[in-house]
Amino acid sequence: MTQIVPLSKEKHRELKIDARASAAYGDNRHFVQVIVNEFPHLLVHYPILFGKEAATGQFFCGAMLGFIEGENQFLEDWQCDAQFYRPLSLQREPFYAQGPELAIDLDHPRVAAGEGKPLFSDQGEPSRYLQSIIWAFQDLVPGIERTRIFIARLLELDLIEPIDIEVEFEDGTLRQCEGLYTINQDTLSRLPDPVVLELFRRGYLTLIQLMIASLKQVREMARAKNARLLERTAALAVAPGAAAR
Amino acid sequence: MKAGGLSITLVESSDIRAIGVGEGTWPTMRSTLERMGVSETALFRECDAAFKQGAKFVGWTTGEADDAYYHPLMVPQGFSRVNLVPHWLRAGGTVSFCDFVTPQGRLCDAGLAPKTIAHGEYRAAANYAYHLDAGKFGLFMGRHCREKLGVRHVLADVESVRQSETGDIESVITRQAGRIDGDLFIDCTGFSALLLGKTLGVGFRECGDVLFCDTALAVQVPYESPDAPLASQTISTAHEAGWTWDICLPTRRGIGYAYSSRHTSEEAARETLLRYIGPEHKDLPVRKIPIHAGHRETFWKNNCVAVGLASGFLEPLESSAIVLVELSAKLIAEQLPACREVMDLVAKRFNENTMYRWGRIIDFLKLHYVLTRRTDTAFWRDNCDPATVPERLRELLTLWRYQSPWFYDEFDRLEEVFPAASYQYVLYGMGFKTEVAPEETVDTAATALRCVQDNEKMTGELSMRLPTNRELLNKIHQYGLQPI
Repeated sequence: MTQIVPLSKEKHRELKIDARASAAYGDNRHFVQVIVNEFPHLLVHYPILFGKEAATGQFFCGAMLGFIEGENQFLEDWQCDAQFYRPLSLQREPFYAQGPELAIDLDHPRVAAGEGKPLFSDQGEPSRYLQSIIWAFQDLVPGIERTRIFIARLLELDLIEPIDIEVEFEDGTLRQCEGLYTINQDTLSRLPDPVVLELFRRGYLTLIQLMIASLKQVREMARAKNARLLERTAALAVAPGAAAR
Repeated sequence: MKAGGLSITLVESSDIRAIGVGEGTWPTMRSTLERMGVSETALFRECDAAFKQGAKFVGWTTGEADDAYYHPLMVPQGFSRVNLVPHWLRAGGTVSFCDFVTPQGRLCDAGLAPKTIAHGEYRAAANYAYHLDAGKFGLFMGRHCREKLGVRHVLADVESVRQSETGDIESVITRQAGRIDGDLFIDCTGFSALLLGKTLGVGFRECGDVLFCDTALAVQVPYESPDAPLASQTISTAHEAGWTWDICLPTRRGIGYAYSSRHTSEEAARETLLRYIGPEHKDLPVRKIPIHAGHRETFWKNNCVAVGLASGFLEPLESSAIVLVELSAKLIAEQLPACREVMDLVAKRFNENTMYRWGRIIDFLKLHYVLTRRTDTAFWRDNCDPATVPERLRELLTLWRYQSPWFYDEFDRLEEVFPAASYQYVLYGMGFKTEVAPEETVDTAATALRCVQDNEKMTGELSMRLPTNRELLNKIHQYGLQPI
């Protein structure tokens, strides 16, 4: 349930938001939408892929956080290290953009907690936290549109292809992640020169390279997950690392 | 096509109207369109296309109230590994053969689509074909061929044909565009078979003695509301002297009664049709379509090959005519003779192949009739007269009493029009009995059990996940399908 209302200095002066990462607040997601502006930050930790919105079938860019629905392998990192980059679409919760205005979901558990960071100072000025949210939306709103245009161009050029992520874990389970897409490197390598130049000038070639480079993080995530599994079943410490492809 | 130094000219007469039956297709249409570079989203939007997941045959076996079975488009689970027929027969339960081996009948019953909006174009959770507006589809494909494939499209009426001494066609002379030369002529002139029949004198082989339906009455029926549920199965309902098709497009239903004029009068046929569509539709215009069942004695002669109605026509049961158009076009494209010298060899192979296919289609259509237990009218009784059953089908029916159709013997051609799975669905949908020796199922029992369990699981999962036909079509119109 949601109750989204425009944010008001008067009505919401006393509100406090629990901004910490927590499964209870909906951070237990294995794939979250991201925008192109974030790619350089995301690359360091997460595979950046394409997914499809269930309701419309439209492509979006997303950061992979786990191999299983509802599993976020980075939750502890986020909880321990406030500087660890967390995708904007999670950072911004429980806020929404309503046209140029900021809105808030009063039924969001982050609000219901009743404690956490204040939104306004005693003088009614936006707090540092709220200011960071405002900045996030200044990135997000145009960023979503930029990302949409980027994806549309990639589709025109046939540059998106499905990716099979199949990982075998130390506990013997095999995980196949479906419905994910990445850059088609074959098509990319065959693009005509003028198109390559166009992609470069628009900054798309960099984004494409970041997405390709980020695929390495799949292996890292599998390794991290295996390490955790091995900790849990220390006795079963067998040799080779996860086979990720 | 410009590529490869080949140029294609389509000469289309303004006089010949689309026949307007054949609004159902076979799943081959998906690969055909994909290969041609057609956008599936555009197909849905511009041709009033909807999904077809198979055919439901109502009243064909006994004619009683509960008499219905599915011929779905998905093959049985594990079909390449195990033949589930003997296992189903031995189980002897109350589950229909269709439900025992595939989710698709139950998806159809629930009005569910074969995919979601997240499946790319031509991708699917369950195999499917299309129901579409044939008139719009013709224009749509014409546009695609002109704009994307570089086909030259000439609107002109052919007045005469010029032949060389060997009989080869050199050119067609048109009223509006003068003389048009060619190395190979594809006769798509419909029933008139202007080039292959009239010019080259190839005869027509009737098969009205096997398939009795020789007339159809077609009508387009509006929905009560624009969001009325859509069936994704063609509903084929048996009547006194033939059967009705019932095809749901997003905008209307296309319904028709194909009947044998030797077994009923036109007046009685009109009453049957009206009874089916309901008296509130009594003022809708009904079109009468002759069905001249049969095909040419040969399909490629000299430098001329016939495709479509010029090649032959049968009652529109199981969308067979349109499959043959696709298969013929594919064969011509793949085997296109490099020069005149090899054309006769290619023609010979084409003719053998196409003759085989027509034979199998006729057999398969006849199968729907010979398995009936109806004796209520002369139409059904006459259909079971062994003299009307092609010899090959008669032999197979004897063979099938002791072994069910699967991979061996008959169905060995690379692109069989109707695969063994289709025969299984019709045979066992209509209650055909095949003897199963107890030891026959022992070796494959474990595999079969797993297939049946997989089927139950898949049915459950798909039922949860798939939208209704109407919901998905609305989304395709709104958002489009992604190219991948």
